[in-house]
Amino acid sequence: MLRVARTHYIYSLDKNINSGTWKPILQVYTDLPEDKAQVFENDTYAALHYLLLDNNNENSAKNIIQKARENARGIQDHITREVWEEVNSIYHLINRPFVKLKLASADALEIIDLFLKHSMMYAGVADVTMQRGIGWNVMKLGKFVERGIETLILTDKQCALHNYDLYKELDITSWRFLLLSLAGYEAYLKTYRSTKHNQQILHQVIFNADFPHSVLYCLNQIERSLAVLVKENTNPEVPELLRSFGRIHSRIRFMDPASLPSTDIQSFFLELKRKLQDFNAKLKLLFFSY
Amino acid sequence: MSNDHFLNEYVYHENTWDEMYDSKNIRHQYSHVFSMLKNLDVDSMSNRHRLAGELFLNQGITFTVYNNNEGIERIFPFDIIPRIITGAEWEEIEKGIIQRLKVLNLFLKDIYHEQQILRDGIVPAELIASCPHYTREAYGIRVPYDIYVHISGIDLIRGSDGKFYVLEDNLRTPSGVSYMLENREVTKRIFPDILSSSNVRSVTHYPTLLHEVLLNLISSQVSDPYIVILTPGIFNSAYYEHTFLAKQMGVDLVEGRDLVVDNHKVYTKTTKGLKQVNVIYRRVDDEFLDPLVFKQDSLLGVPGLLSTYRKGNVAIVNAVGNGVADDKAVYAYVPEMIKYYLNEEPILNNIPTYQLSDPEVLKYAISNIDNLVIKNTNQSGGYGMIMGNAISEREWLKAKSEIEKNPRNYVAQPIIQLSTVPCFINGKIQPRHVDLRPYALYGPQGIKLVPGGLTRVALTEGSLVVNSSQGGGSKDTWIID
Repeated sequence: MLRVARTHYIYSLDKNINSGTWKPILQVYTDLPEDKAQVFENDTYAALHYLLLDNNNENSAKNIIQKARENARGIQDHITREVWEEVNSIYHLINRPFVKLKLASADALEIIDLFLKHSMMYAGVADVTMQRGIGWNVMKLGKFVERGIETLILTDKQCALHNYDLYKELDITSWRFLLLSLAGYEAYLKTYRSTKHNQQILHQVIFNADFPHSVLYCLNQIERSLAVLVKENTNPEVPELLRSFGRIHSRIRFMDPASLPSTDIQSFFLELKRKLQDFNAKLKLLFFSY
Repeated sequence: MSNDHFLNEYVYHENTWDEMYDSKNIRHQYSHVFSMLKNLDVDSMSNRHRLAGELFLNQGITFTVYNNNEGIERIFPFDIIPRIITGAEWEEIEKGIIQRLKVLNLFLKDIYHEQQILRDGIVPAELIASCPHYTREAYGIRVPYDIYVHISGIDLIRGSDGKFYVLEDNLRTPSGVSYMLENREVTKRIFPDILSSSNVRSVTHYPTLLHEVLLNLISSQVSDPYIVILTPGIFNSAYYEHTFLAKQMGVDLVEGRDLVVDNHKVYTKTTKGLKQVNVIYRRVDDEFLDPLVFKQDSLLGVPGLLSTYRKGNVAIVNAVGNGVADDKAVYAYVPEMIKYYLNEEPILNNIPTYQLSDPEVLKYAISNIDNLVIKNTNQSGGYGMIMGNAISEREWLKAKSEIEKNPRNYVAQPIIQLSTVPCFINGKIQPRHVDLRPYALYGPQGIKLVPGGLTRVALTEGSLVVNSSQGGGSKDTWIID
């Protein structure tokens, strides 16, 4: 979310490009009703505040960090001290008064960058210090399910802007927002050489197993973590969970990317997203219910 | 401005034992620290104080005050100047606590089995029968190695005569040891030079000792011993300590809902299936431990746990029913217990304690309330305590009426001027009252203490209430040789 907000904030500064409205971002990351979204959509600072700091927004960065911290408190015996301290320090940081003040000013980007940096620090600290046991794999599982769904939603939103018409050739600038939001712009430029940007970008975000934000990369990571979690688990519902995930994974792994333009792409994204959400629900039921 | 003149500003209290200053000179155990602190200016001290606060905040050693759905974190108050006790004084304290703990353990075993001490009239039977923490359900249960009090915190105070007295026994779920350990870690960051040059005894081995005690409770025939810490959850004020100890010992931290009893054995639910638990270090009070036996609406415990305990299929630390031995009314009989069970004189004395269940004593206490503190026998954390010299007329009338309704629930003690130690408060070094909670571990190999303990300090000037739940803080405690 921070990266998307950052990308959009920078875009919104350039009024020649017609991308100033925050409506799509609010639709993806909040559950604001249409009438309330209209209040924020053309007000950058109000939108940023709502996305990042508003207590009334369940999915604001502040609320998410607070919940993450409470979760981390509850499982301190399964995470390292370094991970706990990093989560804790982000929590205290976002509650500092200067954050709200700066976010409402020309220094807003500084705040977004500060939290982006801390997020990456958190990822790095976890990667370097966490033992590769159950705790680590649960964290990874959650992260990649969410990342996969987010990639699908953002790609869907971008395709919707062009009425899902993949045959209509668009230049790279039409896709820059999506690529920057997924931290994939530079990777795209280095990997893909043709001018058929539509197919190539969809290939990158869905099928490229080397791109960390692609759907296939996320599914591969989920597969690895799931294998660790279910190892030695004798619960009779595990095979069904594995089959359910296997179907999603196979769908992407063995799909011919060239067939995508002729597919009903909107339904394709919707179907995948729903299946990932169903898988997530089954996972929660199996491992986290009492 | 340096600290050079701080002794001139140090307000020494008459009739109070100051641990640093004897009205003429600095006591020898403080001389080294004093000489090093003199070379630090106020800004330097303030920076160290601020750094200590940041360290506590970053590690999450805080209380949470919930207000308008926003959690407001409060740092657990810490004073940077260490409290110092000599090695010789500590040897006496250690011997006294070991003696006391042995006796309390024998008492618990006796009271839940033959009850010989009651038959011999040393402790009145009605006192035990009326004690709300006497757990009838624990009667007759055999516990591993007959050890009931594996982990204890014996609260000590130093009176105006310089001697240590036992203020209170904490034998159920004593807390604060994590603060003792973290205080030392913080002191290492803020005064590394002073600490290293002061020959201070280490405390870092406490988690290892505790883990050993817990492991030694398990039969050697168990090939894969499994210990858990049972916590009430993240909203418990001592939750930080539960996670701290779990991490330090490498054991799982569980809540009641993570455990299940099947066929008189208790298991943890894991992603790999059920795993049998051998020892539960519980930080959940007795009444919440098993809803089938105690409070029926408890969600913190495990249904069927007591039957497992009774069968000997799990060890519970500390044992169920210890509350009868740390009841404040029973406390008054500990010197007699020492003579009865060990045929010895107490090494550490009690504070004179008067049972208000005696009508004559009650009458005396009411007439002399200005010089007394009255305590509820079943409360802890400083709650239910009436400081006779500080209570208002209106509050006293209300309290008096409660006491007269249930005098058995109250004891009276003379107001003791707790000793004072130097504290860095508002840019000055000032004396504040303290007590001491050493922690003792009792396992099959014997009783061990870590040197020092938690010094609790009443940060408000003149206050004698050191409990953290009522505005107290803590200090690092140094035992120096």
